[in-house]
Amino acid sequence: MRFCLITFRSVTPAQRGESVLHRAGIECNVQRTPRWMEEQGCGYSLWVRHADVPFSMELLREKEVPFRKVYLRRENGNVEELTV
Amino acid sequence: MIYLDNGATSFYKPVGVSDAVRRAMFTCANPGRGGYPEAMAAANTVFRCRQRASEMFDCQPEQVIFTANCTHGLNIAINTLVKPGNKVVISGFEHNAVTRPLHFFGASVIVAGRKLFDWDNTLGEFEKALKSGVSAAIFTHCSNVFGYILPIEELAALCRQYEVPFIIDAAQSAGVLPVKLKSLGADFIAMPGHKGLLGPQGTGLLLCEKLPKPLLFGGTGSNSVSQEMPDFLPDRLEAGTLNVPGIAGLEAGLSYIAGRGIERISSAEHKQAMYCAAGLEKMGIRVFKGEHQSATVSFVPQTDCEEFAELLSQKGIAVRAGLHCAPLAHESAGTLQSGTVRLSFGHDAAIWQSERFLAAISSIIHKKFL
Repeated sequence: MRFCLITFRSVTPAQRGESVLHRAGIECNVQRTPRWMEEQGCGYSLWVRHADVPFSMELLREKEVPFRKVYLRRENGNVEELTV
Repeated sequence: MIYLDNGATSFYKPVGVSDAVRRAMFTCANPGRGGYPEAMAAANTVFRCRQRASEMFDCQPEQVIFTANCTHGLNIAINTLVKPGNKVVISGFEHNAVTRPLHFFGASVIVAGRKLFDWDNTLGEFEKALKSGVSAAIFTHCSNVFGYILPIEELAALCRQYEVPFIIDAAQSAGVLPVKLKSLGADFIAMPGHKGLLGPQGTGLLLCEKLPKPLLFGGTGSNSVSQEMPDFLPDRLEAGTLNVPGIAGLEAGLSYIAGRGIERISSAEHKQAMYCAAGLEKMGIRVFKGEHQSATVSFVPQTDCEEFAELLSQKGIAVRAGLHCAPLAHESAGTLQSGTVRLSFGHDAAIWQSERFLAAISSIIHKKFL
């Protein structure tokens, strides 16, 4: 299964995002953002299933939860940034 | 002890509050820094409280800032809106938490509305000041000395009409009266966590509509590369490690209030306060009582107010005497010289407390003065 990371600038928006997605029945969880993905330093991300990303982003935008970027982790472990 | 000093801090907290504090001390590390379970447990504890507060005060979770107390929040808000020499209108019932920062920042202060329990006077005087051109308005929701509930919705509407930014001091009203950031349109609302919200001391909230100027600088667990404080909330104002056990306790206090209902708590407190006020009046004591009043009542005893409070203390009644850190309010009511004795009920208000309080008063009066 392919997963995506939606990155946030700090823990609070990531948690708010988690709360919004959970309310919509989307499985996700908050983790630290890998250092190389966060040019500003520290950050947190939401792990969501690839299939849930479009709806997740729609919800986050609707609820005005600011996120930074979305990364896709392929089955082979490669990670690439998605255009959103 | 009959505790009637909830205006200073709530003392008999719901049991869940101390349980939550203890649990946080055993399970929580530093929030917003690490990704291991104990760090995430802390972050989740903090977020739960933020979310609970945002539901109660009608705002987004990130607009809820954790402060050390209400004074801390007021200082941030005043530092953001007021520059030296700015004209600022305040009510005649403000606490030193408002007047001292204004003095420090060199504001030119206009005091508007000094008549107790008189909404027409408060609104009329405020409108006059707003019309004259001011940089900011600051008003308490409820006087900590007299329990006078100011018409904050109308005051907020006036500020919006004259496009004057404003701060509300909800020290005595949060958890007891409805306080809504969005509908009031305030720039900032400051409140303690340890009074009506029933959390531990050392907790407070600042609700922010405007991006504030930080008072404290340091690590936030975000934007670490930059030497500027983050330009987003809540990180902008939350440098350093948060008081996680305190916040956990505050969340338990908020949950208790949400479960029981603000209106129910407020009505039970008010009933006892008015019962005591009527009882004091019957004994010939000068009581400050009015239409728009919370569960806080001040009275002037026939002897020195501090001595009178000491006699009450000896009878197991805890009240606060003196000027209550609000000389302006006392000046407005004409009690700056005498001070007052203040009783303020909390969520546990009950008739037996009122009866024991009145019996103690009666016994002091008859022993000492008759």
